[in-house]
Amino acid sequence: MTIKDLVSGWRTWLEARSDLSSIEQFLRKKTVPQHKHSIWYYTGSAILLFFTIQVITGFMLVFYYKPTLEEANQSVAQIMTEIPLGWIIRSVHTWSAFFMIAIVFIHLLSIWITKAYRKPRELTWMSGVFLLFVTLGFGFTGYLLPWDDLSLSATKVGTDIPRSIPVVGAWVTKFLRGGDDVTGDTLTRFFGFHVCILPVLIFVLLAVHVYLIQKHGMSLPLPVELRKEKVKEIPFWPNFVYREMIVWLILVGVLFTVAIFLPPSLDKAADLMAPAPEGIKPEWYFLFLFQLLKIFPAHVLFISGDTIAVILILLGVIFFFFLPLIDNKPARVKGKVIAVIAYVFIVFAVAMTVWSLH
Amino acid sequence: MKKSIIGFLLCILFCAFFLPLFTLAQEVQKQQVEIPQQEEHEKIIPSPQDIKESTGIFVFIGWIWLVIFILIYILRLKIKEVDRLYQIKYFSSKED
Repeated sequence: MTIKDLVSGWRTWLEARSDLSSIEQFLRKKTVPQHKHSIWYYTGSAILLFFTIQVITGFMLVFYYKPTLEEANQSVAQIMTEIPLGWIIRSVHTWSAFFMIAIVFIHLLSIWITKAYRKPRELTWMSGVFLLFVTLGFGFTGYLLPWDDLSLSATKVGTDIPRSIPVVGAWVTKFLRGGDDVTGDTLTRFFGFHVCILPVLIFVLLAVHVYLIQKHGMSLPLPVELRKEKVKEIPFWPNFVYREMIVWLILVGVLFTVAIFLPPSLDKAADLMAPAPEGIKPEWYFLFLFQLLKIFPAHVLFISGDTIAVILILLGVIFFFFLPLIDNKPARVKGKVIAVIAYVFIVFAVAMTVWSLH
Repeated sequence: MKKSIIGFLLCILFCAFFLPLFTLAQEVQKQQVEIPQQEEHEKIIPSPQDIKESTGIFVFIGWIWLVIFILIYILRLKIKEVDRLYQIKYFSSKED
């Protein structure tokens, strides 16, 4: 019996029990349009790739990480210095989170600019925005877990921001911290969010998001749709998937290279009684919001500057979430203005981030 | 009379089974208290410790990129082939 016969026998056995060929037929019939904006289609699967890497490396780290006030920092130090390849696993986990968040932003902005959220894909966009928030939640909760001075102070600042929200602000801060201040309870709570609540949420949202994409198919660029041009299409399986694999391979190579040459460091354990260190900064993806809060004056008339800034951010989030409903006539002037807002937002976010870094 | 005997026996059983557990728990607690506090570390910046490790890292990265380039080459050939099959409608004619 040759290996070919063995594989063929195994496939027949599996086919009789799972009807895999029907899935293959379905994927073969599903098509992907090919045009000059097709490159943005690859960002969705790149996010899934980094999410998978996050899950795998997260499982590895959770075997050694101890989410208690006394042991959290020490256990991360142990992962980095004593566990074989531990520092690489931690570095890959951190860098794949950065890559994932960056590509989530690129993915959403590309959809905003190409107006791929237009009817009937409004819910796909909304589930995508929820996924962005969950991803940022992963980043925010994960930042505290090494429990060093910088992560403690940044979490204090970060969890203090919702306090400026009128009416519910104080309660939100208390809920996030598990008390009045950032303590060991916050660490345990953030660990729970990071490894239990947020993963469940992201899996549910991903299922909804992928289902909606399957239902409505890939969106065409607005000008192409308006001109009713015939666009070249290729089957999703295997033609498009092979192309995606090339992108995945390059991204994995870049990820490992960066993770090995630029591993994240670890400061000494946080001291709850120590004063906040200088230069507290959140992770890069929160820097533009952090800078926006910093430039607001302490008081505008009789209202606190922080309250105004937080209300502005909340309004921005609501606008972002309901974008497909606001931009209901994308080909008209309103649609063009909303596209310009996307570019203005990109320039604003980059400028604020650079300003914050300097 | 019977009830008091049963009660007495239950007390003995309780002592026989649970008291050693209490003692064990106390001992574990004692041991935990006695564990010396690990020394606090300074900032840890992971980097290769010696020339052997840094060479290993470069070799590892080299291998990763070599494998990636080979796989990309194979995938490009596969893409050409599946695109050709799609153009000649190989799979749709097979289904018919």
